[in-house]
Amino acid sequence: MLKRAVDWLDVRLGVRELWQENTSGYLVPRNINAWYSLGTVLLALFGLQFLTGILLLIHYVPDTEKAFGSVETIVNAVPYGWLIRNLHAVGSNLIVVVLLLHMLSVLFMGSYKRPRELTWLSGFILFNLGLGLCLTGYLLPWSQLSFWATTVATDAAGAVPVIGPKLVEFLRGAPSVGAPTLGRFFALHVVVLPGALMGLVGFHLFCVRRCGISVPPFGKDAKPARVGTVFDHEKHPGGIPFFPNYTAEEAAMVCFALAVLVAVTFFAPQIFIPLDALEPANPFVTPEHIKPEWYFLWAYQTLKIFPSKLIGLAAQGALMTFLALLPFIDRGEERRPAKRPLFVTCYVLGLLLLIGISIWGRYS
Amino acid sequence: MMHAKGWLLAGCLLLLLPGPVFSAGEEAPTIPRETVCLQCHGGMEGRLGAPVGLWKQSIHRQNGISCHDCHGGDPTDFAMAMSPERGFRGAPEKAEIPAFCGRCHIGVKDDYLASKHGRALGKGGPQCVTCHGNHAVVKASPDLINDKDCTRCHSFERAARIKAALTDTDRIISGLERDLADLRRLGIAVKKMRGEVFAKRNEFHRLFHTVDVNKVHQGTAAVQKSLGEVATEVAGIRSDLSQRKLWGGIAIVLLLVAGGLCLLLRRTYHDEEGKG
Repeated sequence: MLKRAVDWLDVRLGVRELWQENTSGYLVPRNINAWYSLGTVLLALFGLQFLTGILLLIHYVPDTEKAFGSVETIVNAVPYGWLIRNLHAVGSNLIVVVLLLHMLSVLFMGSYKRPRELTWLSGFILFNLGLGLCLTGYLLPWSQLSFWATTVATDAAGAVPVIGPKLVEFLRGAPSVGAPTLGRFFALHVVVLPGALMGLVGFHLFCVRRCGISVPPFGKDAKPARVGTVFDHEKHPGGIPFFPNYTAEEAAMVCFALAVLVAVTFFAPQIFIPLDALEPANPFVTPEHIKPEWYFLWAYQTLKIFPSKLIGLAAQGALMTFLALLPFIDRGEERRPAKRPLFVTCYVLGLLLLIGISIWGRYS
Repeated sequence: MMHAKGWLLAGCLLLLLPGPVFSAGEEAPTIPRETVCLQCHGGMEGRLGAPVGLWKQSIHRQNGISCHDCHGGDPTDFAMAMSPERGFRGAPEKAEIPAFCGRCHIGVKDDYLASKHGRALGKGGPQCVTCHGNHAVVKASPDLINDKDCTRCHSFERAARIKAALTDTDRIISGLERDLADLRRLGIAVKKMRGEVFAKRNEFHRLFHTVDVNKVHQGTAAVQKSLGEVATEVAGIRSDLSQRKLWGGIAIVLLLVAGGLCLLLRRTYHDEEGKG
């Protein structure tokens, strides 16, 4: 029956050829390593977020009077609601961790260099969309943490000259965080951002497949980053089949990432659900220590380091623009880390600085 | 290759570590803001400055009760802080102390006044601060009934029997409060149970000022019976949580085994690639 259905499709769309070309016929570098599997791990984690998000939507009520209660009902009364909610909350944090690892590995191996500028750029925008999803999702439970973290985060936009106050009001839908903010963050979180994310993931994968996978810049197989005058798909004759050879490794990495997710979800979900997230939002009671999530601490502290918020925002903007446009700025052909001492030094120092500022932000 | 996988896993775990550092936090006590009373008396020495130091160790401070909550006055205005116009009432005389404290601790005041201790008020009998202290007010607990304090006025024999009856219930209440705080930390809805324990704790505390041993026995038995129902509910939730962890552990093991098998499969392919 299945064979007949595939035959029917094959005659019309040539699906067997398409499958062969993209699986066993698709050769990847022989020295490909585990870091290349992080994209697949991210796809699996995003898939799980979509699934748990849809299940949460069945019971979640985007109303300031009912949102917190609906989340409490999900966690306490809906069968397996606690599992779905905790997987969603912990999964979002794990996604940020894997996104960072993915980007750091791409940076270290120089895989962002030409001809993969668009792959990097789309990936960088995807990273920001991921953070946007975290920020908008944060408000939805309408807890003390949600309310005050969103108040602080949107308040930062007020530092923009001239349009700052208007921008804050636009983000919130009102002078302060309230029902209009919840409405627009909900729409962004469940429709706009996931839609944009899916579209961009498609484009990112298209870029990866069209350019071909880069050779790890280690050993005798390392190749310089070059682009010719005409399009050239980077082939790997003598490479290994993507399926089943490399997908076995990807499947292993997905299993290990899911094991971490399950471990935190079942044994220590409170790591990512602080006490203030368990109290309903109260605009009249400011919690003693409002801190953003760990992945925003560097931005939070940057705003405090500089004498004015505007300079802090400008510094953040400059850093993000620099990273987004890195393949257009760093045009050298060399990809081997051992031959790029300046880059590796900046990479390590930049990473240490980011971690240091984040820890400073946590304890400041 | 295996080396790289090890580093990747270690990296994942390492980056997860900042989580508890960044996210976890303990419930901070409600600390009263710095009032003019504290600013002025805090810098004084002797009789006028001592209350500030004593108050800082008190249960009142932990619960956000500051000088003006008892003594009245305006805590925001240096000039008028101790003005009767702003409700300043100063320190009460000994016989007035139960009425002074009883403005907030209404039920306790009634219980005290009905007891032998209360009936001896003004005739050498004890009042609130005799046992609880004045500025260094300590949390009400059976520890306040002790040989050293009670024998200032009478023998400890009857007090010891009352203390024995109270201690058991106090331990059950403290244990339940800890259990409910732990469950709340995990996102479990405990508001109703907390309300029940709170009500029973208040009922229990009203027994503290009774010096009738039989009444204390009857009261604690009734309180313990009601707390038993909450304890059963808590035990049920704990059992569910243990079951969850068991299933979680099984899921983790299965995922690790699946991951390991995939790596073995990859190794098989790797060997074949070498031969090819």
